[in-house]
Amino acid sequence: MHIAGMGIVFNRGRGLANLDQALTEGWIMPNSVTASCAGVYQVPPEVIIDKQVLKDVRRADNFSKMATLAAFDALADSGIPEENKSKLGIILTTAFGPHVTTFGFLNEILTYGDAGVSPTLFSHSVHNAAASYIALNLQTRGPTLTMTQFANSFQQAIILAESWLKEKRCEYILVGSVDQIGQVMEYICSQKLKLASDGKIKPFNFSQIPEAVPAEGSAFFLVTDNIKYNKYCSISALQQGTKKEDDLYILDSDGMCGNEECYKNITKKVAFTSYAPVFGSMLTLSAFSCMAAALILKNQKIYASPIQENPHNLNILTKNETLAVHKIKCLRYNCYQEELIIQLSRPR
Amino acid sequence: MPETNIAITGLGAVSACGNDINETLQNFSDGARNAGKVTLFESELHYPVFQINNPTLLDDPFTMRTLNLAFQAAQEAILEAEFENGFGNLRVGISLGTTVASQLNDTDFYRQYLNQGSAPMNSVDRYLKSNLAQALAQFFKITKINFCTTIVNACSSGTDAIGVGLSWLRNDYCDLVIAGGADELNRVPLDGFGSLSVVSKSLCAPFDRDRAGLNLGEGAGIIILEKETIAHKRKKTPSLFLKGYGLAADAYHLTAPRPDGSGLEQALEQALKEANLKPKDVAFINAHGTATKDNDLVEGKVLAKVFGKKVKFLSTKGFTGHTLGAAGGLEAVFACLGLRHGWVPACAGFMNIDPGIGVAPITHKTKISGNCAVSTSLAFGGNNAALVITRN
Repeated sequence: MHIAGMGIVFNRGRGLANLDQALTEGWIMPNSVTASCAGVYQVPPEVIIDKQVLKDVRRADNFSKMATLAAFDALADSGIPEENKSKLGIILTTAFGPHVTTFGFLNEILTYGDAGVSPTLFSHSVHNAAASYIALNLQTRGPTLTMTQFANSFQQAIILAESWLKEKRCEYILVGSVDQIGQVMEYICSQKLKLASDGKIKPFNFSQIPEAVPAEGSAFFLVTDNIKYNKYCSISALQQGTKKEDDLYILDSDGMCGNEECYKNITKKVAFTSYAPVFGSMLTLSAFSCMAAALILKNQKIYASPIQENPHNLNILTKNETLAVHKIKCLRYNCYQEELIIQLSRPR
Repeated sequence: MPETNIAITGLGAVSACGNDINETLQNFSDGARNAGKVTLFESELHYPVFQINNPTLLDDPFTMRTLNLAFQAAQEAILEAEFENGFGNLRVGISLGTTVASQLNDTDFYRQYLNQGSAPMNSVDRYLKSNLAQALAQFFKITKINFCTTIVNACSSGTDAIGVGLSWLRNDYCDLVIAGGADELNRVPLDGFGSLSVVSKSLCAPFDRDRAGLNLGEGAGIIILEKETIAHKRKKTPSLFLKGYGLAADAYHLTAPRPDGSGLEQALEQALKEANLKPKDVAFINAHGTATKDNDLVEGKVLAKVFGKKVKFLSTKGFTGHTLGAAGGLEAVFACLGLRHGWVPACAGFMNIDPGIGVAPITHKTKISGNCAVSTSLAFGGNNAALVITRN
C-alpha cells in the first residue's frame, strides 16, 4: 500500500511545510498552560480557520474541523484526478472521539434538563461525525468508517485499509487519526498520567512511570495500491517483531500508555528517534510518527531526536542531515504492553 | 482472495425481546413487545423504551452494562459454535460495534467535576476498561488475538463490524472472527434523540403511515464468522454464510438520510455484487426501519426500487427498539434465524401502508422459502450498510 498524499493539523500549524519546519526545529515549550496541566500542545485556533475549505463544515466542532482539514490536504497533496474521487474510501480513527462536544452536551443536560438539550451538540457528539463531514466536504460517496481502539487505533485502521484495497472495495483511501484535548480531558490526564513539569516528553528513558504532555491534532494519508501514485513510500501494519536490518525506529513512547520499560527489550542495533516531544502525547500518535517517517523517506533527510536525553545509550539521531533511509518502523507498546508496529519503506 | 466462503457458525442475542435466541424466537412468534418505562436512570422524558429487565450476567457493578450484554450474547454464540473450551491455535479476531461504550458520557462524573473542579476516576477507569473488542478478548481469555477493533459508525456500527470481520477473513488475517454489536440504554442518546424530535411517545410503528418516531432499546447481537475450511476441519457442516457486505456514504447531512436513497442503493448493490446474487434471489430483508419519518420513507422506497413491489421486508425494531450500535449485530442474527427456521415475524407496530413508501412490510408471521436474506443499516452521518446472508 502506497502513500500518495498527506495532510496534518498539529500544534505547530497545518501542512507539510510546517511539519518539516517543526521536525527541523525540534522541541519547543508547550504552547498552552491550563488549570490542570503544566503544558499542553494545543492546535492554535487560527489554524482551524479556513473559510474556503470549511465552508460546508462551519457548524462542526474543532474535532471535525481538524480532521476535515487534514483529510482535504491529504487528498489535494495526492494529485489523484478528480474523477477518481468516486473510488475513494475513508477510515478515521480516534482514541477518545469528540469528547469536548460530549461534555458540552452533558453540560446542557445538567443545565437545561433532559428536554432542553441542543440537537446540534448531540449530533456532533458521535464519533463518526468527523468522517461524515469529510465525506460531505469532499463529496465522496465511498465506504466511510470510524474506528476506536485507544493506542491500537491507527494500526487497526492501516490494516483495514490494506484489506479494503485488496478486496477492491475502493482504489484510494483517506486513512487518518484525530484526537482533541479539552478542559475535562486535561483534568483526566492530570489524574491518570504523570505530566512533565518541564514540558518535555523523554522518550528514551523507558520509565516505569513516564511523563506525558497532552496534545491534539489530526494526521491523514491518502493510500492506494496503485504504485503510480507512490509519492512518499509504502506503508504496512502487518509487520511483527523488531529486526536489525531496519534502518530506523521511531518510538511512540509518549507517556500515554503507562509503564514503558518494555521498550528496553527492542534490538539496540539500529538507529532510534522519537518525535513525540514535537507532537505531544496522544494515543493516536502513531499516525503522526508515520507522517514524519514518510517525510524522511521521501526527502532522504533525517531529523534529530528532539530530546537527546539517552540513559540507555541508544543510537539516537543527533542531527538533521541528508541520509539514505529505506525502511522505518514506527513502534508503540500499548497499555497491555503489546507491540504495535507500522512499517514504512521505499526501494533501495 | 484466499477464501471467500465465510460461514456463520454461532449466534447470540440479548435484547428486550429475549435473553437468548430461544426466548427471542418465542417472543417473535407471540408478537410480544416488552417495552416500558426506563428504570436504569432518572429522566424527565417519558418515552417508552425497550429495556432488558433480567440480563443474566450483571454481577459486576464495575463493568459497563454494554459489556455485560456483549459478554452474554458472545457466550451464547461461542457455545453454539462449540468453542466453549477455547479457540486452540486458531487466529481469532474481534470486531464489535457500539456507540455508548465508546463515549465518556457519565453525567455523575461530569456533575462532580463541574461542581467541585474534581471528580473520582472510577467512571474514567470504567470507561477505559470498556473498549468493547479489547474487553471481550480479555473476558474470554483469548490470548492469540490477531485483530481487534471497535467500530463506532453510529447506528450502522454492528453491521460494519461484521463487514470488517468479513474483510479480515477474506484476506486470511484470521481464521474466525467474533463480530457484532452491543449498546445499553443511556440518558445521553435518549435526550439527544428526544431533542431531534424523532422519539415516539407510543410504541414505534416501523414503515406505518402514522409512525411517530423510534423507541430506544438495548442489547447485543453477536455472530461467529469462520472460514468454511476451518469449520470443516472441526467436523462442522455450516449452513449459514456471510456472502456480501456493502457500505456507502450519503455525503449529504449529519442526521438526515439522502432523500433519493442513493447511498443505501449503492450499499445494497455492492453487497449483492459481492455475493454474486440478484435482487430476485433475496427471500426477505431485515430492514433498519427505525419508525422515524425520514428513515422509513427513504429506506422503504429504496427497497421497493431495488427488490420490486412484492419485496418481503420487516423491521424487528418493534420488538427490540432501536439498539443503536447493537442494531446491526442483532438484526444480522435475526436474519440468520429467519433463514434457519424458515419464518420471520410480523413487522410489529405496522398497521397502515404509507402511500409515500408504496409498499407494506410483512404483517404477520410469514414462512420464508428462499435461501438469501439481506440486513440493512442506516446511520447518523449518512452511513449506509448492507449484509447478504445465505443458507445452504
